[in-house]
Amino acid sequence: MGDRTLTDDLGRRARRTRTAAVLAGLAFLVLATAVANLCHGSVVVPVRELGAILFGGLRTGTNAQVIWSIRLPRLIAAGLLGGALALAGLLLQTFFGNPIAGPYILGISSGAKLAVATTMIVVVGRAAMTASWMLVSAAFVGSVAAMACVLVASRRTSSASGLIVVGVMIGYICSALTDFLVTFASDTHIVNLRSWSMGSFSGTSWTDVQVMAALVLPASACVFALSKPLAAYQMGEGYAQTVGVNARRFRLALIVLSSLLAGCVTAFAGPISFVGIAVPHVAKRLLKTSRPLVVVPACFLGGALFCLVCDLIARSVFAPNEVSVSAVTALFGAPVVIAMLVGRQRRRYER
Amino acid sequence: MSDRMEDSAILRAQGLAVGYDGAPLVSGIDLAVAAHGVVTLVGPNGAGKSTLLKTVAGLLAPVGGAVWLSGRPLEQLDPHERALELSVMLTDRLRTELLTCADVVEMGRYPHTGRMGVPTSTDLAKVREAMQTTRVWDLRDKDFMQLSDGQRQRVMLARAICQEPRLLVLDEPTSYLDVHYQIELLAVLRELVETRGVGVLMSLHELPLVWKVSDWVVCMKDGVITAQGTPQEMCAPEVIDELFDLEPGTFDPLTGMIDLRK
Repeated sequence: MGDRTLTDDLGRRARRTRTAAVLAGLAFLVLATAVANLCHGSVVVPVRELGAILFGGLRTGTNAQVIWSIRLPRLIAAGLLGGALALAGLLLQTFFGNPIAGPYILGISSGAKLAVATTMIVVVGRAAMTASWMLVSAAFVGSVAAMACVLVASRRTSSASGLIVVGVMIGYICSALTDFLVTFASDTHIVNLRSWSMGSFSGTSWTDVQVMAALVLPASACVFALSKPLAAYQMGEGYAQTVGVNARRFRLALIVLSSLLAGCVTAFAGPISFVGIAVPHVAKRLLKTSRPLVVVPACFLGGALFCLVCDLIARSVFAPNEVSVSAVTALFGAPVVIAMLVGRQRRRYER
Repeated sequence: MSDRMEDSAILRAQGLAVGYDGAPLVSGIDLAVAAHGVVTLVGPNGAGKSTLLKTVAGLLAPVGGAVWLSGRPLEQLDPHERALELSVMLTDRLRTELLTCADVVEMGRYPHTGRMGVPTSTDLAKVREAMQTTRVWDLRDKDFMQLSDGQRQRVMLARAICQEPRLLVLDEPTSYLDVHYQIELLAVLRELVETRGVGVLMSLHELPLVWKVSDWVVCMKDGVITAQGTPQEMCAPEVIDELFDLEPGTFDPLTGMIDLRK
């Protein structure tokens, strides 16, 4: 009886192997999809030439231009924002103890969308360009406001479905208000707004990438650092408090982080649905555990992978026309949610 | 009041009032739990037993009066310090997702693990010891949601034990257990009290068990403590008939035997 047996007794070694395999697999797939994203498109760039463009200092020519100024920033945006969405979803699910909570369903993305649309119309009317930091701040404010509404409502309804209904309604209200605004906006604004409000990674600049990296990476690191209280929160707020979680401080951190992550996505890519619900769910099934210490990194990678694949589909299926990426994520994400609910129901009857 | 009272009791309440949103449900509570002592709350449904236990656990703010934990006022302890002093088992049904029983029990080590919550081999040994104590070691790799209510309750008790508190706060710890495990659970509690010197504050409905396991019994009804004393004093039929509004002679508190002849 040594430490070895004890460790094995708790199934930790098998688990560690599984975790390593899943994380490595996800990382590999992210890389492979990234290469596919860079090479594929209206101009096909051969993989060998891609190597030369990225690492060999080949900076001239159309292909280099396409990779460096269009595809690479777009790729990084899809990866970062996908990871951000998955983490925002994971945080909201843990916080509300509800497996289908997510930034889109709870109306947080729509709140951000309304705030961004308002800013675009009001500010773009005066200045030629809207600074990305301005849109991000607006999105953050909108997210927090929508989150506040959901929180107030969640205090009054204890049921899991009540929370979701409230979130969906808040989403409808914000979308309706956005539609009113669009009606009153002048033509050039509408063109801007419409493509953005459908959800898309296109047109990402390097400045945008810098801003989103500066926000998403530290916020994701913070989420990872919160793994321990997140684990305790899975047992409910009551138990979390009795093992030593400072509930008030943790709640605040969670609201700020999930609003920041979801708001950042909405500011740059518009509202994107279902990533926040589908990715954490699949990540937990793959890892066969819901321990945040491993689920957080897997979610980030999974979210990045999911958005890269969906973006590739969005821009290649009907090329040269682009489909909104939100339509693609919904197409793949919504069935996961249905499968999840059906599976849950079946298990309940089996017992 | 002085910050620190010289006091042998782990938990002491004086004139404590408990309730929700500032409205007292039970007031004038005076009680003490000593190390090596089991204090049991009995009384009809809705008497405020759970509310009192939640207040002591720090989940509800006291409405009035004072509580000391190891001589320090409860509200001065931060959540971490409180977690080192007491652990809790509630009646709330826990819904977990893809967590094994060992994972759930391991959550009890929270106040002892480091920044990222990674358990050391000492932590794992404590998890194992607690699970063996409540006879759930064989269930360690099972999904918590697949257990029966009784098994879950034993897992949750293991979780409370491996937190290694000075005081265990248990809300109806035997409610889903069959007679076999009821007896075993109470034996485990007595063993913990005698060997590790922890104190126990709990609510319990099965009166015959109350007399066996408790060192002190507190009767609660209609927003007050109606009586408290040793089990020998509290098991008198008059006390119990009064507490539960029973016709004299219909219930024997010692055996739990019910007489329906009338």
